[in-house]
Amino acid sequence: MRRVFLFVLIPMAVACAIPAESVNAQSQVAAPPPQSVPAGKVLLPNKAGSAKFAVIGDTGTGDKHQLAVAKQLTTTRSQFPFEFVIMVGDNIYGSNAAKDFEKKFSTPYKPLLDGGVKFYAALGNHDDPSERFYKPFNMNGERYYSFKPADGVRFYALDSTYMDDKQLKWFEDQLKMSGSEWKIAFFHHPPYSSGETHGSDETLRTQLEPLFVKYGVNVVLTGHEHFYERIKPQKGIAYFITGSSAKLREGNITPSDFEAAGFDTGYTFMIVEIVGDDMYYQVLTDTGKTIDSGSVHRVGKVEPTPNRTAQPIVPTTGNGKKLPPAGDRK
Amino acid sequence: MKVIRSFGVITVVCAIGAAPAVAQKKAAPGPPKPQISDATREKAADQNANPDALVLADFQKRIDAYMAIHKDAAKDAPPQKETNDPAKIKAAQEALGARIRAARANAKAGDILTPEIRNKFRRLMYPVVQGPAAQGTTGSAKAVKADVKDELKENKEEQAEEGGKPVVLKVNAMYPPDSPLPSTPPQVLMNLPKLPDQLEYRIVGKTLIIRDVDANIIVDFVPNAIQ
Repeated sequence: MRRVFLFVLIPMAVACAIPAESVNAQSQVAAPPPQSVPAGKVLLPNKAGSAKFAVIGDTGTGDKHQLAVAKQLTTTRSQFPFEFVIMVGDNIYGSNAAKDFEKKFSTPYKPLLDGGVKFYAALGNHDDPSERFYKPFNMNGERYYSFKPADGVRFYALDSTYMDDKQLKWFEDQLKMSGSEWKIAFFHHPPYSSGETHGSDETLRTQLEPLFVKYGVNVVLTGHEHFYERIKPQKGIAYFITGSSAKLREGNITPSDFEAAGFDTGYTFMIVEIVGDDMYYQVLTDTGKTIDSGSVHRVGKVEPTPNRTAQPIVPTTGNGKKLPPAGDRK
Repeated sequence: MKVIRSFGVITVVCAIGAAPAVAQKKAAPGPPKPQISDATREKAADQNANPDALVLADFQKRIDAYMAIHKDAAKDAPPQKETNDPAKIKAAQEALGARIRAARANAKAGDILTPEIRNKFRRLMYPVVQGPAAQGTTGSAKAVKADVKDELKENKEEQAEEGGKPVVLKVNAMYPPDSPLPSTPPQVLMNLPKLPDQLEYRIVGKTLIIRDVDANIIVDFVPNAIQ
């Protein structure tokens, strides 16, 4: 009897002795299973004349992980000739002396730069705003800017660290003027995120989401969280987080109502192709493993677009099922 | 009897386990007390105004005065242009910084961020850095707490990883380019007065600095902004 009593009480005592914070350990959240896609295989249509690009985020460390992702990105381009790369911020971490631009940008991506690939950067919270004068970032000396890489496709780079009225007005004016079918916003802080560390930036969501909805922004690309996450369409808008192209917060994704897929155990980048009303995406790791892919279908009128309806996202590999054990994933 | 003793042991163990959490709650500092100068109080009474509003108006006036110097110095400095050579970006910053430094050679800490402005800033930052949001355990308060603490932790880690020269907290000093530029959580920025595009807030350790982005110099700072 006494043994039984102690058997029950000792674990209770141990539980009490652990500080409260560590009792509620967060469980890891699902990502689509890799299925049987051969390493490095590109699943996108790869059609001639389509808009092809890659997305990387939180890159500027200059360490082996950035180099590994950059190498895989270069390998991928030999199959899928993307013309430009979107950088969702934290382009130069830490020291930002002249030599750091080489170590943390131009050296890792040299094969791509030499191949004529253009990079378009947004500023992250770790970036010096003077990066906007660095020509290879193609920011035209501005903290926020837009560009049109192909007919019917316009990108808007925003500075989410300093989201003030002036920038919001600029963004709204730009959206009003645009006749592009595809409006893609990219910036650093995610309005929706299942990250344990940061989570959703609700203030930013309050500021930007009404504009996205009113003017028909189709897709939002962000970083900040050091993992990959695809959010279930919110008010008809597809949100992606790609903040693990050099930094990683393992096991940082927590369960949430809005997560469609997530991957927090490896370094990743996205490749994207826009063909007509469909945007195809594929997310690969630094070893070439596909961890998510699918398409976003654009619906609704182009201009004006006040009555935009949902943008269904169709995953083609996995659909947010539970991941295998952490050790088996990378 | 032994059963009672076991309960006693468990109670003690539980108390020890819970102690750090209790201690943490007790240790959380209260909001800074307002420190308004007599002159500002008198002025507020005369104008039937809120003393805090006068403090912030005074801050704006001092920032405007700084910006007049900045703009004047920028007229003679080589303009910042897009370039493939980051060294040229740094050189343009240094050139402007040298001109601003010369124009305000006698500037000292507290010229812009006076003691009562510093106090106001500490009070503005308190809610998200140490106040209710920072102590929050649910919903958006939890997110704010995590975000603020994580960014401050990341800043420390970067400094440790990258080394670099320590930041000299001195008005007019150049922000060392080989030191990490620490981030400032958006929640903190939301609570502070907006700055012109040429200036920004950064948190270095426990100090809030105002940095001239174009000139890469420290304009002024608030020591112990995070207590």
